[in-house]
Amino acid sequence: MGRALLVGRLAARDLRRRPGEALLLLLAIAAATTVLTLGLVLHGVLDKPFERTRAATAGPDVAAAGAFSDATKVRALTGAAGVVAHSGPYPVVAAVLEANGHTVVAQTEGRDTAKAAVDQPKPTKGGWVRPGGVVLEAAFAEALGVGPGDRVVMKPLDARGAPGQPPSTRARGPGRSFRVAGVAVTAAAPPYPEAACLANLCQGDADTGLVWLTRADALALAPDKHDVLSVLNLKLADPAAALAFAAHRNPPRNGPAPTSASDPPTILQPWQEIRDGSANIVRNQRRALLTGAWLLALLAVASVAVLVGGRMADQIRRVGLLKAVGGTPALVAAVLLAEYLVVALVAAATGLAVGWLTAPLLTDASAGLLGSAGARTVTLSTAAIVTAVALAVAVAATLVPAIRASRTSTVLALADAARPPRRSGRLIAISARLPVALLRGLRVAARRPRRVVLAIASIAITVSGIVAALSAHADLASGANDARAHQLNQVLLVITITLVALAAVNAIFVSWATALDTKHSSALSRALGATPQQVSVGLSAAQVLPALAGAILGIPGGIALIGIVDPDKTTMPPLWQLVAVVPATVIVVAALTAIPARSGARRPVAEILQSELA
Amino acid sequence: MPDAVGVSMKEPTRGYQLRVVQEVLLALLATEASHGYQLRARLELALGPLAEALNEGQVYVTLNRLEKAGLVTSKRVGQTDRPNRKVYELTAAGRARVVEWLDDTSWPKPAPAEFHLKLVAAAAAGLGDPVRLVDMQRHALLAELAAAQRAVLAEPDGSVPGLLLEGVVLRLQADLRWLEACARYWNTTKGRR
Amino acid sequence: MSADESTLRAEPVLRTRGLAMHYGQGAGLVHALEGVELEVANGETLAVMGPSGCGKSTLLHLLGGLERPSEGEVWVAGRRIDRLSEKALARLRRHAIGFVFQAFHLMDELTALENVELPALLAGHSPGAARRRASELLEQVGLNDRAGHLPSALSGGQRQRVAIARALSNEPLVVLADEPTGNLDSAATLDVLRLLDSLRAAGQSLLIVTHDERIAATADRLITMRDGAFVEETRLTRGTTGSLGDLVGLER
Repeated sequence: MGRALLVGRLAARDLRRRPGEALLLLLAIAAATTVLTLGLVLHGVLDKPFERTRAATAGPDVAAAGAFSDATKVRALTGAAGVVAHSGPYPVVAAVLEANGHTVVAQTEGRDTAKAAVDQPKPTKGGWVRPGGVVLEAAFAEALGVGPGDRVVMKPLDARGAPGQPPSTRARGPGRSFRVAGVAVTAAAPPYPEAACLANLCQGDADTGLVWLTRADALALAPDKHDVLSVLNLKLADPAAALAFAAHRNPPRNGPAPTSASDPPTILQPWQEIRDGSANIVRNQRRALLTGAWLLALLAVASVAVLVGGRMADQIRRVGLLKAVGGTPALVAAVLLAEYLVVALVAAATGLAVGWLTAPLLTDASAGLLGSAGARTVTLSTAAIVTAVALAVAVAATLVPAIRASRTSTVLALADAARPPRRSGRLIAISARLPVALLRGLRVAARRPRRVVLAIASIAITVSGIVAALSAHADLASGANDARAHQLNQVLLVITITLVALAAVNAIFVSWATALDTKHSSALSRALGATPQQVSVGLSAAQVLPALAGAILGIPGGIALIGIVDPDKTTMPPLWQLVAVVPATVIVVAALTAIPARSGARRPVAEILQSELA
Repeated sequence: MPDAVGVSMKEPTRGYQLRVVQEVLLALLATEASHGYQLRARLELALGPLAEALNEGQVYVTLNRLEKAGLVTSKRVGQTDRPNRKVYELTAAGRARVVEWLDDTSWPKPAPAEFHLKLVAAAAAGLGDPVRLVDMQRHALLAELAAAQRAVLAEPDGSVPGLLLEGVVLRLQADLRWLEACARYWNTTKGRR
Repeated sequence: MSADESTLRAEPVLRTRGLAMHYGQGAGLVHALEGVELEVANGETLAVMGPSGCGKSTLLHLLGGLERPSEGEVWVAGRRIDRLSEKALARLRRHAIGFVFQAFHLMDELTALENVELPALLAGHSPGAARRRASELLEQVGLNDRAGHLPSALSGGQRQRVAIARALSNEPLVVLADEPTGNLDSAATLDVLRLLDSLRAAGQSLLIVTHDERIAATADRLITMRDGAFVEETRLTRGTTGSLGDLVGLER
């Protein structure tokens, strides 16, 4: 009991003594925990809403697309074993939609005004189809900016046009004006901006949205009345069997091409595939966030290790004292670790809170499903994972120094003689041939090899993240999907900025700690004839050289990261971007570390040398 | 006067010689005539625990000498219970002597010369290790310091005898510091041989 | 006094046998201690003096278990300690040995009271009991009014007295003091001197390594070291004060 109080008291006092460092530690870990929370929250955000939509709209277990003019084909499916209900076949026509200044291709399904047994889309605004009235899929309507009562124009799509051309050039005829009767959600296809391919039937471009018209109105839009494809919705007795049902009846993937265009094969899509398609929207975001979170966690470990390294050295006298007064090595290690664990817990809580508050910015993209906006909850397992990661970061960074400190000989610890700088004879000899600034830089860096390794690691991690982000950005730029790309770009930007900010703070801190550490030898150099500029350039060089190494390592690191995260992605960022990262990093690091280096080089020499005697 | 030759060697003592009992008695008589026992009482007050070293009759012996030297005179005052109570009084010569004494700034000389020569002799003649002699002497002095210090600690704050004892302690400490210097010197000289 | 207690009393509180300490190797070999035989009886105060580098601080570190000897044995209250693990040594320092250092070594961020209760908390006592004991000890060293002050607000002498109070926290069998007045001026030295003397009078076993002759003079026994070995030993306690007069040369 007394021991616990002691550990707590010492940890609290020490944190209070240097609140700035405690805050830095908190920020480093909180950055990782926030991004991790966002990633985890998005993990479960779409399963429930999809279930809800499916239940509310009597979503199909299997959607079949094909030429269903022949009734036998229809009966073959509706009468198959396990099928308990069906709706359709409904004609599906691709048309050009003009609304609110936008011109896009719309997948148009012709429906009855009466309620269907399977797949009855549920209007969230307005009502269902009527002659002259069109119902848009909810996310599609939101993207276009139209609502019930607005007017849109729909024109038939010329099938001869190439898919890549803009929709406006592929329209045929003046088209017809419709009034928006309502906005609805459905479980038969993923929401916009996923391609609205009913039963895998995609007509026109990838960037299409789903709309519903009456049968007559839809057929009126068909360019060729005889080639209309249809969609048939099936409900099974056992929904789980949908995968098998579809697999059994679908043509083999690598099988022979269809024999004629007039007899297209029937394709079946089980509901699980539709659900996965719905999740695609946030899948990339989630992947970016989780990858970003791991990178930030690694960076946090490096940052915390740098901060801790300096702090532990100051603690060495306390360690000796505690041991002399009767503290076991275990207790001493506990005292050293306790404050970092406390910071980690606070950082976990902060990350959870901030992540919970900012999650809506990402999840609201999926307006096309019921109740998704309110589905952001931080579950117990999320909280547990985030807390575990925060603690792991703290422990990883502090365990080894803490154990090493607690094992120091008591006598040495009391004499504060426990951490002399390392000497490398060869390095000193090599550096003697270099200009003064580089000489200083190398020798200063060589004093604390562990710090140099951490500095290289943190820059390498950051640059890896930047390279991966550049690659993802290039991938999106070459693709077509605007809304999705926009969202993803936002996420990437946030992660990249966070990485860079953390790395910048890290660099400043390392530079400042180095300046403090070497102030005596810097003063000596100046007393022996070095100019302040040479000294400050030397201090900067001590940071810039590891940064250069880190940047060079970060490029293959980033490429490897891309390979791990998204093996089938082949887009590389442009070469000039890759090459530019290295000098950009070096310049930024040099700029950041210039200030602490300068201030370190300008204090009066006498003052520094005198204080050694105190 | 230096230490008397016949002082026993069993417990080496180093007196800071007080040639002073005479002069003190003269000074104490300067304001008024006193009985012998009164003078003794006042001496004891000033010396505190050290007064035990005063012999019973030392004061009277000294007063007799002073009278013979013409510095004091005595008068017999008869008292019913104790015959032979003399009252002593300063003469003009005695008064002059007191003034002379008060103005005298000579200080008892510390006498390291003898010990210093002892070490030199021991080293030169190979009779003994000077360092060892120093260590022995140090320990003897430290024993004396310990005794004096115990007396200091036993005195209440601000006592007059305490001040005297503090002086004893500090002088011994100074001598010990010199002995340490001797040890350092003779240690390295030894090493050089 | 029962037979057990009397044997306990008779057991020396500190004992060494053939203690030796070497550093470095080959040409750089340093013999810090060589063949040291020492015994400190219960309730005794022992002072160890010697020039710099004579090994007296090393001896203290070995007696307190802060270092392991190269050769020889160290016994504390009848228990051999030179081969114990770090953890067992830590427990020893909690209950049997109190340390006082030249540089005080107080925790800068704890108040005087919190510093004194540190060993009690380490030993697992309840916070209330630890605090009470700490108050008593601060009173004993005369710093009750400074209980809430940080070390930075205390003078050198006050800090050392707090350190002594801390050393007494768990009622140790012996207090080891390494140059306790090394960083103090003469006035502060006197304060510490008085405190050490009162501890000795109360029966606390003390082993004091010091340069200061006055501090050494508070001991019952004095040992001088030179080049890692004992060279001289004297009993400082005298029965009579009759020789005081000799000191001031009152004979005529």
